[in-house]
Amino acid sequence: MKKIIYLTAIFLFIIVPQINAELYTDGYVQGLFGGQLNKDNPTKSDQSVSETRLQMRMESVGDQGEFVSRIDFVYDGLAEEQKQYDWEIREAYLKFRLGSKLDFKVGRQILTWGTGDLIFINDVFAKDYRSFFLGRDDQYLKAPQNAVRMEYYNSLGSFSFVFSPTFESNRLPTGEKLSYYHPSYGIVATGMGEEFYFNADEPEKTFKNSEFAARFQRQVGMYSLAFYFYKGFYKNPIGLEVATNGLMPVYPRMEIHGASIRGAKFGGIFWLEGGYYNSKDDPDGDNPLMPNSSVSGMVGFERQVATGFTVNLQWQADKMFDYNYFVAEQESMGATHYRDEIKHLVTSRWTKMMSDETVTVSAFIFYSPDEKDFYFRFSTEYKYSDEIKLTIGANVFDGKYANTEFGSLDLNDNIYTKMTYNF
Amino acid sequence: MKESHLAYFYSGDDGLSDVKMTIVSKKGKERIREFIMIRLDIEEGGNQKYYTYFKKPSDVSRITFMVHKTSEGNDQRWIYIPSIDLIKPISADDKNSSFVGSDFSYEDVSGRHWTEDTHSLKGEETLDGKAVYVIESVPKKKYKGFSRKVSYIDKESMLPLKEEYFNKKDKLVKEFSADKIEVIDGIPTITVRTMNNIKKGGHTTVSFNKISYNVGIKEDIFTERYLKNPPRKYIKK
Repeated sequence: MKKIIYLTAIFLFIIVPQINAELYTDGYVQGLFGGQLNKDNPTKSDQSVSETRLQMRMESVGDQGEFVSRIDFVYDGLAEEQKQYDWEIREAYLKFRLGSKLDFKVGRQILTWGTGDLIFINDVFAKDYRSFFLGRDDQYLKAPQNAVRMEYYNSLGSFSFVFSPTFESNRLPTGEKLSYYHPSYGIVATGMGEEFYFNADEPEKTFKNSEFAARFQRQVGMYSLAFYFYKGFYKNPIGLEVATNGLMPVYPRMEIHGASIRGAKFGGIFWLEGGYYNSKDDPDGDNPLMPNSSVSGMVGFERQVATGFTVNLQWQADKMFDYNYFVAEQESMGATHYRDEIKHLVTSRWTKMMSDETVTVSAFIFYSPDEKDFYFRFSTEYKYSDEIKLTIGANVFDGKYANTEFGSLDLNDNIYTKMTYNF
Repeated sequence: MKESHLAYFYSGDDGLSDVKMTIVSKKGKERIREFIMIRLDIEEGGNQKYYTYFKKPSDVSRITFMVHKTSEGNDQRWIYIPSIDLIKPISADDKNSSFVGSDFSYEDVSGRHWTEDTHSLKGEETLDGKAVYVIESVPKKKYKGFSRKVSYIDKESMLPLKEEYFNKKDKLVKEFSADKIEVIDGIPTITVRTMNNIKKGGHTTVSFNKISYNVGIKEDIFTERYLKNPPRKYIKK
């Protein structure tokens, strides 16, 4: 592992400066302020977010390759003393080509594939749901990860391989700004005490615990066909391990095999995607502490219904294997509500652009008829000029049961306002 | 009309240009879009491919956009958003929708195929000292963009010097004008053009800089690979 780091360092410091490169910089400054709509939310503050962010983008383009970096500096008004200043390298990668068929992207990067709109089956690259729920820009839903991406192109199509030496988990509510569900105590947050700061056990940073993802993609007429593979861990800590002080949430091992098709049809775009989640720590489904294997499928369609007005609709079904074991486990624990064997999720996005595309009104809803919960996102964005953008938005969660995906976020309803200056 | 269409939208076998779009609102507020546009004609008067790399403003910089245009009209469009590494196909049904918030529609940028309208010669005139044909085009199928268009086509270059778009009430809603024509690589080219939005107020002026034709652009540029990795040979900031 060290060798790779040394080689990368040598490459960065010795080879890169040799490349006759041009340097470009830009970025933005953004203020984001939000308030909680629910007084009962057990977080410390009734503000959901209060932060100022500076993003610096730098791009150095040469004949042999390019270097891109995006660094965020954040002042978090809600954080404790000494922890108010934070920064993150969102991207810092080197992109180059070997021969005519191989493309490399090496370093910290954002990765995306798959066909869904905010539904991810084969895209298990790290997500930041905390940012997503608080009203940060859409780009923050994708968390960066350290990776080497290699893409090989030939007449069959494109082959992509992504290797991440260390596991990168999803960023979920921890109780700090957003409350979460605790199986013993219900909806909790750090406002109830430090012990409610969510903590999961990450896999050790060893070679064995690295992540590997692959995709083969091919254009067939008007359709784009893809096959996916992933080997690593569930990105959410949905497993449990017996520890000295009780049960500790962990990220169980898993593999995904999936496929998708996307293309133009019926005056719009349609997509179909499926994946088989193989739970390696519970192959028979009889371990109550580990998730069962499952298969998930989705279908979606998007079209422009009027000038500047686009609507889409998606339906996802997720089937759990060895469901009878799961039921027995839930019954023995005396659970009042647990998921159906097949879980459904319906989503819809509505986007309307007005006034020469300076005003964008957008709404997105996730709704599960069998889990009886929903999540509604709304925003209105006004581009005052090429530099200044004003946004107001809301995130609303509701559910009949506290242990469902959105029901567990029930108390986190918030509204926010955001002002961005691009330079 | 075919000849004019070819002169305007199919200049050379391919084209590369630096484009600056100035969108002026009714109240006089200006917004700027700067991008690099690469075009390849797969067949003269037929299928075309377009590649666009946005430079400014900074909130859209590095975004790339690709169109596969067919003469049958079932175009395909894709956009790549680098900040989230996302390639998204865009529903291309409404060709009359605005191109990046400007007064030009997608079709105004890449051209409406001449076979979609019935054309008739209305007369011959002189416009700004140039001899022009006056041609009226009426869509064969009902079309949102216009119900009648009058074009003033320069007899010499076969380029449209002016176009008037009428709605179904026969009111003038949009007016196109060629503000500057230059000869580039032996090809007469409209280097500054304006679309005046009479109905809404406001206008958009597009100026083309550093145009080059027949640069030998290869078809593989118009694929997802290059959408994600802009062809730096042609794309400099």
